[in-house]
Amino acid sequence: MDSSTLPAVAEELLREIKKAFQESSHGRDTFSSRLKFIFGPSAVPALDLVDQRSVTRLRSPSGRTLYQVLGSSGKLYTCYSSCHFCTCPAFGFSVLQKSESLLCKHILAVYLSQALGACQELSVSEEQLTNILLAEEEDEG
Amino acid sequence: LCRGGLAERLCRLQNRERSAISFWRHQCISDDNTPSDKSGVLIVKILEIFEECTIQVAICQQLAQSPVTLSPEDAVINAEEPILKVLFTRETAAHLKSRPQDIIHIYPPWQKLLLQNADVPVIMNTYFSQKVLLSEHSEAREKTYGLKKTLIRKNIISLAQTFRLDDLDDKLHQEPSDNQVACAAQIRNNRDSKQHPLALNAVNDSLLEMVESQGAVGWREVQVRVVIQRVYCLPAREGCRSHTQGNKPLLSNGGMFCRLCLLVQDAYGMFSEVQLQSLSSTDDIEQYCRRWEGKSCCLAGMKILQRTTRGRALGLFSLIDSLWPPAVPLKVPGQSQDSEMMTTNLPPPSFCYILTVQSGEIHVEVDEEEQISNLYQPPAVHGLKEILRINGCNRRCSFWAQVLYQRLQTKHSVPIDQRDILLFVTDSTLQNVVHGIPKVVAVSVTASCVLSMEIGEALSAGSPLVFFKDALWGDGRIICVERTVLLLQKPLLCSAAGADLSELTGPVRLDELDSTTQANSICALRGTVVGVNESTAFSWPICDRCGNGKLELCPQDRELLYCNQCSKVVTTPVLKMQLEVFLSCPSRSQSTVKVKVWHEIRVALFVLLTMLLFLQTYEVQSVLGKEVGLLNCYVHSVTSHPNSVALEEIVLL
Repeated sequence: MDSSTLPAVAEELLREIKKAFQESSHGRDTFSSRLKFIFGPSAVPALDLVDQRSVTRLRSPSGRTLYQVLGSSGKLYTCYSSCHFCTCPAFGFSVLQKSESLLCKHILAVYLSQALGACQELSVSEEQLTNILLAEEEDEG
Repeated sequence: LCRGGLAERLCRLQNRERSAISFWRHQCISDDNTPSDKSGVLIVKILEIFEECTIQVAICQQLAQSPVTLSPEDAVINAEEPILKVLFTRETAAHLKSRPQDIIHIYPPWQKLLLQNADVPVIMNTYFSQKVLLSEHSEAREKTYGLKKTLIRKNIISLAQTFRLDDLDDKLHQEPSDNQVACAAQIRNNRDSKQHPLALNAVNDSLLEMVESQGAVGWREVQVRVVIQRVYCLPAREGCRSHTQGNKPLLSNGGMFCRLCLLVQDAYGMFSEVQLQSLSSTDDIEQYCRRWEGKSCCLAGMKILQRTTRGRALGLFSLIDSLWPPAVPLKVPGQSQDSEMMTTNLPPPSFCYILTVQSGEIHVEVDEEEQISNLYQPPAVHGLKEILRINGCNRRCSFWAQVLYQRLQTKHSVPIDQRDILLFVTDSTLQNVVHGIPKVVAVSVTASCVLSMEIGEALSAGSPLVFFKDALWGDGRIICVERTVLLLQKPLLCSAAGADLSELTGPVRLDELDSTTQANSICALRGTVVGVNESTAFSWPICDRCGNGKLELCPQDRELLYCNQCSKVVTTPVLKMQLEVFLSCPSRSQSTVKVKVWHEIRVALFVLLTMLLFLQTYEVQSVLGKEVGLLNCYVHSVTSHPNSVALEEIVLL
């Protein structure tokens, strides 16, 4: 079997979390341990980010979205909606370089915030969205 | 980690699991028998292994029973046995050192996950797994293989493979607001019309219970029903991480950020101050007061900032005292709903919790449509005459008055926006009195009392009627401090307590200058000019736009005046004339009365120059003996040795 397994498992887990949360507050401990199994060391920090309501979804009039996560160090990281990408150094290392994780804790926090309805919403202009994206480039360039 | 948050819960779970796993593994090493067929044990045979990230994925065949009982020849792949995908963590995989054809026993609590578009179930949480060796040959083979490193294929996952959390049906309802409505314990926009009620959890009515259950499982969803007794602004100590989205934040008199606060009371009589979000300059505190005071609201997921006591928060407790005893009998904790306590002899509370919300969210849902609660105590409005007669100190009082004059304190060491403002006010109860009580009272507004933009504009525009809510009376003075609110409109509900709140008829009269006049007050006087302080006679042009008194001659045309602050030529300067005169006032005949009088005339430049020339030739003699009519003045100072009063002519608002 050549198609990948882990992303499908992760996706199903997150969907279940969303459904479980919408219906009742029970059964949380069940999904917590599954989260930990699949996502390993990112799980607790990601949940912590969710507890702190650190995830904001930026939406521009054209419908483009972007996520910003306020990291524990106070730094703001940007996560893309269209693919798994985060500007944090852990992503570059664990995901891109070593392929050790599917996601960094910030991207996981984005998904969990979506599932638990804990995302903050912010409407921005096209220009502001562009500036945020370009600003990341400047840092690395 | 947030107390009681999801992360903390997972940590606790993890710790439990970790100790269970190491204990179990330790046990397995010590007994080397093959485990019997316990229920719940999953027996699998590995067909293929690959890695994805740090998870090892094993495609396995589920075996019905332990193959120990079968001979090696029978251990062929039976096509009818179900196929499973078993996931192992890196640690478990390292412990197992699995290879195709290995038999693995997986002990509970493993979990099965069914994927939407796949037939093969996934097994996870396989911490308790053990390889089973079939025969002695296997053992030897195991040992040799253990020395060689096996290469396992690693799948690289594409970043483009994102997760879709919505079902296909949900795609139509992707509005973020829908998500929020569906979930419990969420953000509520108070200004929208009646929302869906918050989650199905029962609503509590005890603040103390909510506070004491902080950190326990599920406390975030607990809601408490309270009555909003007062709404006010507090200057925030540190700058807030506010989400005002570009609106300029409302700055207090002291230039600090302001937060909207509620003083709430539960059915048991306990008070709590709830600090909400920062206000922006476009927010109207008056609106919030009008819409929220007296209404019930539900609080959820509050964070405790501190527990404060009477001795530490005099201002807060003076407000609480003004709301005590309660308007209705209180509930008694622990007893049935019907038995209520008489409240006449209960002492006022001695402690109070200060709660706050997590940044950016509002966990308060106000029932704006509902009626005013019985527990609500509107501010008791009194006439100023009654207030001046109150005994005691640190008492909150509310009144409705006309502001006649405002003055900034003159301490130059303090920046302008942090200085106290002195407002001179009066009402019909003071104006209609013959003697014994001052006609005008000074109200000091400290920097900690937040003034809205509307008030500021009203004060500069004219002589407004202002409602002072919960000002502090003590030491013979009325001061506006934290939690005092100045409003332009009378609140809908207030107990008038028999005060005569009619509008002032006729012109306002000030007290006349006499032996009891104090410094920093205003008064009216009349007298005769007995002397002129020539050294103080000044006249000079000032800019008509900004009042700058230091005009210069234009470099280009030395006949025009130029204002540096406006960076413009002043075409119609204002002539300001100032003079100190000594008066003899019959009402205070023993004192030397010195009045700084001034006058401003707006004139065209030509006329101005002519007048300046003219004024320089006036003679003192012509002024002496002149009668000065009723002049409104601000008293700068009163000294007894020498017996003198220094005043300045003022114009009332």
